[in-house]
This record gives sequence, C-alpha cells and structure tokens, in this order.
Amino acid sequence: MKRPILMALGLLTFSIATAQAADIEFWYGNTGNVEEAIQKQCADFNSAQSDHQITCVGQGSYEVGMQKAIAAYRAKRHPVLIQFFDAGTLDIMLSDAVVPVEDILPEVDWDGYIAGARSYYETSAGKLFAQPYNSSTLLFYTNKTQLEEAGVTETPETWEEIIGAARKLKESGHACPFVTDGDTWRVLEQFSARHALPIASKHNGYDGLDAEYAFNTTFAAKHLSNLVEWRKEGLVRLATDTRAGDYTAAFNAGECAMMEQSSGSYAAAKEAFGETYELTAAMAPMYEGHERHNTFVGGASIYVMKGHDEAEIEAAKAFLDFLRQPEQQMFFTAATGYVPVTNDALDAITASGEADSPKYLTAKIGVESMNQPGTPDTRGIRLGFYVQFREIFMEETQKAWAGDQTMQIALDNAASRGNELLRRFQQTYRNVQLP
Amino acid sequence: MTSDSARFGHRWLPILLVLPLMILILLFFYAPVIQAFYWSFFLEQPFGGGSQFVGFDNFSRVLADPEFWRATWRTLIFMVTASALAVVLPLVLAIAADRQIRLSPVARNVLVWPKGVAGASIGVVFAFIFNPFVGILAPLNNWFPGLWAPGLDGVDAFITLIVAHVWSGIPFNFVILLAGLRAVPHTLYQAAALDGAGPWRRIRDLQLPLIAPQLFLTLVLEFTESITSVFALIDTITKGGPGGATTLLVYKIYADGFRGYDLSGASTQTVMLMIFVVLLAGCQFAFLGRRINYER
Repeated sequence: MKRPILMALGLLTFSIATAQAADIEFWYGNTGNVEEAIQKQCADFNSAQSDHQITCVGQGSYEVGMQKAIAAYRAKRHPVLIQFFDAGTLDIMLSDAVVPVEDILPEVDWDGYIAGARSYYETSAGKLFAQPYNSSTLLFYTNKTQLEEAGVTETPETWEEIIGAARKLKESGHACPFVTDGDTWRVLEQFSARHALPIASKHNGYDGLDAEYAFNTTFAAKHLSNLVEWRKEGLVRLATDTRAGDYTAAFNAGECAMMEQSSGSYAAAKEAFGETYELTAAMAPMYEGHERHNTFVGGASIYVMKGHDEAEIEAAKAFLDFLRQPEQQMFFTAATGYVPVTNDALDAITASGEADSPKYLTAKIGVESMNQPGTPDTRGIRLGFYVQFREIFMEETQKAWAGDQTMQIALDNAASRGNELLRRFQQTYRNVQLP
Repeated sequence: MTSDSARFGHRWLPILLVLPLMILILLFFYAPVIQAFYWSFFLEQPFGGGSQFVGFDNFSRVLADPEFWRATWRTLIFMVTASALAVVLPLVLAIAADRQIRLSPVARNVLVWPKGVAGASIGVVFAFIFNPFVGILAPLNNWFPGLWAPGLDGVDAFITLIVAHVWSGIPFNFVILLAGLRAVPHTLYQAAALDGAGPWRRIRDLQLPLIAPQLFLTLVLEFTESITSVFALIDTITKGGPGGATTLLVYKIYADGFRGYDLSGASTQTVMLMIFVVLLAGCQFAFLGRRINYER
C-alpha cells in the first residue's frame, strides 16, 4: 500500500524540478490554410519538447485579435504571445503592453532578418520590437494564357506595358483586363514604397509623432488618378464591377487577366488555375523612369506581452526560437505562400534544390522585392490611428471611383482627415516618447 | 387588506426576486453607460495607462466633425424612411389579414416567421438577393448596364439596407397591429356598414383611430430600434460603404472604437447617440402620446 504514495511523492518532486515549465497561450488572427499551418507548428512544438505547452488560439481576424487583446490586457488576462498586424505597429509600440523581442532574446542574431522585413517592426533607433512571422509583400499576377490569346506575348513589367496589354485585351473583347479593390495597402502603401515616395512627413512618422500626411502631393496621387481614368476606359475594373464581387476570386476564376495582390495569394491562384490557365507572378509594376525600391513587408509579427512570470517568458522564448528555425520557416512558406524573411531560411531553400519549385517561388520574388535599395521613406509606416486612416482612405477614394469627386479631392480630404487623427494620436500619447 | 395588489410574506423576498435581473442590467447596461460617459471626458489610450482629462474637448471635436454630422443625417433619413415603411407595410398586411378572406389564417402565421431570423442572417441573405450580377435586380443591369450597383452607388446601398430593415420589421409590427385590429368589436363594423360606410371609410374612421395605441407603440419602438438594430445589417451587407454612404451613427461608433481604437471618440458619440434616442422617445411621448386615447 505504500507504493502509490511513494510514486505520488516521486511525481511531486519531479514536478517541482520542472517548475520552470509553463502552459502559455498564443493568439493569432489568420483563418483557412494559414490557420492550419499555425496549428501544425503549435502541435509540432508541443511534441518536440516536454518542458513547455503552448495553446494556440485563433481569433478569426487580425482586427478581432487586436480588440480582444486590448480588452484582455485591461482585464489582465492577456496571453504571453500575440500576433499583431502591420498597421497596428505604432499603437502597439506606444502601448507599454509589450516587451521588445530584442530585449527578451538579446542573444539572437536579429540582423539575420532581411532589412525590408526588419525595418517595419523596429524603432527609429533600430531595436526590433516583434519577431516577424507571416510576412508577405505585394506581387503582380497575370493570367498568361489570356494575355497570349490577346496577342500579348511578353509579360508586362511596367504600368505603361500593363495598360498597353490591357488595351489589347479590351480590343480582343476581354471585359476585365486588370482588377483591383483599391485597398490602401496595395494602391497607396506598396506603390509609394517601391517608388520611394513619402506617405507622410518625418519619414512616414519614424522621426516623430508630429508627422503630416503627404501622399496627396506625390506621384502616388497621379497614379491613383490614372487608375480612375483607366477604369472609365474599361481597362481597370474594381472588385465590385466583377461578377465574383471579389477581385482575387475574379482573377482566380479567369474573369480578370491581371492583378496586384499579396504573395500569400499565390497558392490559391495556382490551384484555381490548374491546367486551364498559366499563372505568372513577378514584382509589382513600376512606372517607367522610376528607380525600383523595396516594398513593405505585410502580414503580421509576434509580440511578447508584459505582465507574465519568468517561466511563461521562458516558454515564449522557446516557441519563438522554434519558429525561427529555417525548417519551420520553410514549412510555413510551402504551406501558405508567406515569405521567409531570415537569411538562413533563404539559404536553406536555395540548398534544398527546390528554389524554383512553385511552393518556394513567391519566396524568391517576394524577398527580391523587399531587398531592393531602400530610403528613409521605405522603412515602413509609423503613423498613429493608422487602421482608422486606412478606412478613411478607402471611404474617400470610393467616392472618387464612383465619380462623386475627383481623385485629387478625395486624396486631399483623406490627408486632412488623416492629419486630424495624427494630431489626436499625438495628444493621446502626450506622455509617451516615440521609441 | 385595503390594497388589491399581491402581498409578499417577507419584506426581503420581492427584492431578492428582482435582484438577479437588476444585477444583469447593472452589469451589462449601466456599467458600460457610465464607462462611456467617463471616457467621453478623457483621452484614453487603447491599452490603458496615461489617460488624461480633457473636459468637453471630445464633444467639441465631435460636434465640429463633418463626418459625425453626415452620419447623423444619414441616421435621421434612415430612421424616418425605414420606420415609416416598417409600420405602414405591416399595417396594410394586418388590415388585409384581418378581413375574412381566403388564406388569411395562413398568412397570419407565415408573416410571423421572419421574427425568428437574426439580423445578421437577414443581412447575408439580402446581400445575395440584391447582388448586381446574380440577384433579383440583375436583369435590370442587363437592360441598363450599371443602373443597379450597390457596391459603388451609395443610394443603391442605402435602399438595400432599408428594404432589409423593413422586411425584418414586418413580423413584430404585424403581430401588434393585427392584435389591435382583432380587438375591435365586430359590431362596430356592422354598424358602420349599415350606415353606408365603405371599406375605405371604415379603415379611415374606425380601424385606424381604434388601433392608435398599437400604431403609436410600433412607431416608438421602430424609431428607436431603427437607430441601433441596423448595425447587424450594415455589418453584413455594406460595411458602411461605399464611400461611407451607409455609415450610420451606430456603425461609425463601432468602426471608430473597435476598428480604429479611438475609445474616447467612440464613447463621446455613444453618449450623444444615447441622449438623442432619449430625447426622441421623450418627444414622441410628449407630442404624440398625449393625443392617443387608450380607452375604448
């Protein structure tokens, strides 16, 4: 009868010995095949070691994840690890709710991250706040089969060539040569970055909270006005003009022949095209006479939240270390189309001999795009209430698409409404120093 | 035993019985309301920490914001058009169902069913019904390309919202109005008919005045309901677009607060919306309610 008690005692001492072990939570926002890949990584982490246990909780979307994080943090029930999306970066940095990953993991070689991915999540002084996770950037996709049918043999690379190809497509009876949803990330942010145009003064806010929007005075304004003109000509279509009602679906179904979309869309398009159409993916188009610069990293990164004990932080560090491994990044890239953003992961892909296979194709193009020469205006966007600004931009430009106002007026309105947001943000964080 | 009201054996019992409900109301209604009032006088950082008192700054900013007034104006237009239709249409249906025509018992049942459908579900269905390519109005676009484009034209999107709202409001108002009509003594109709009053005359001079209390009730409820319950429809059908054309106040509050992390601005607008709804109901009772005769 003594034996069970002894065993219980033994178990007790064992559990004291591993008191460092912890159960932690990681909140993310993705759904679909990305969510499956995240859950797979969590399961693999749990089975690869026995010290820590992670529970990965899907929140349905980035926005909802952020809302819940705010509520949870106020109630002191927040997770250790949380994924936040690009547009919320400044809100998080000033929140005092997270610890920079560079402070928590000082021994990691953070310079192994490619510059284009690093700069978005680091302070003006160069300290990395978050570990990039699902990274993507903007690519240009074409339906090569349809282009060839219209007599376009060379895949267009510049906007001038795209419009030339679009005219040929239209002449051959194609109803939707180029499709876009007019989304801020695609038509303003990534366009401004690769053409090295400032979105706001103070290098997009990196040099101070007193930045002001400037995109309405740059070449981006001309481009957006062009898009409206091209739509009138029948060369460009909006998502709402398509039968599918969604521009990615319209492209994937063969309704539209060209689009700009995240590298994360490659896998779905490839699968939808099947044997029917041939797909091309390349860096997003430039205007002739402009030097190409880096595109921004999109997607999301992982932050470590404050207010947890040492054991939980240890578990969080272990999980972040796990995700940084080249083989994990390769798995994630192959499963989702997101781009690996560390040099060792890129080397591993090259060494695998599969660098040109479809599953790693976007990695190659995406990294090339983010690795183009940068300027202080192409580091990222460090502007307050930026999520709200994206909505204002969409609202004002939609009125221009509908013909209620010119694109220039729409952009001027968006800039002045955005500036009001910036001033209020500045006042809200009056007591905080921009890191 | 001078009072005819029910008596409880113990003086604490009634309080105890009411307590659970009071706690729920306190927790889920009054606490958030107080929080909103509090935040409307502060600049609040989303993650807490460093909130600062700014007095009436938030209110003067919101009042000076043309977007706030546009959203308010849209709310008013929606309130008047959608509420009026959401009462008139069920009234017509109720009067028809009240007459002894074929299948009216069936209609009385069928028209109540939509009550069980959630706002968000209605939104999803109507987004499909009014889709410019596959919906019922798609033929319109075949004859006149671009005539029906709720994804681009704000007016079309607004119409979609109103139709969806009116449809979802039919069951409740129908039940209330029909109950009112059924309660009118049949002898009154017979007397009126004997005096030579035709169907229209009977509706105008008999039925409508006699169901005035029910009409008033549905109007009051509709006016206040249309301001807040439209949220589910907007979120599923238009997301406030295109170009903000369907951003009603209640949706603007959600977008500012939850999507834009502007807790102070959203709270301030919540407070103003609350004051507006209370004033509205007050006005209705003061000007309309007093003229209604509840006795029969």
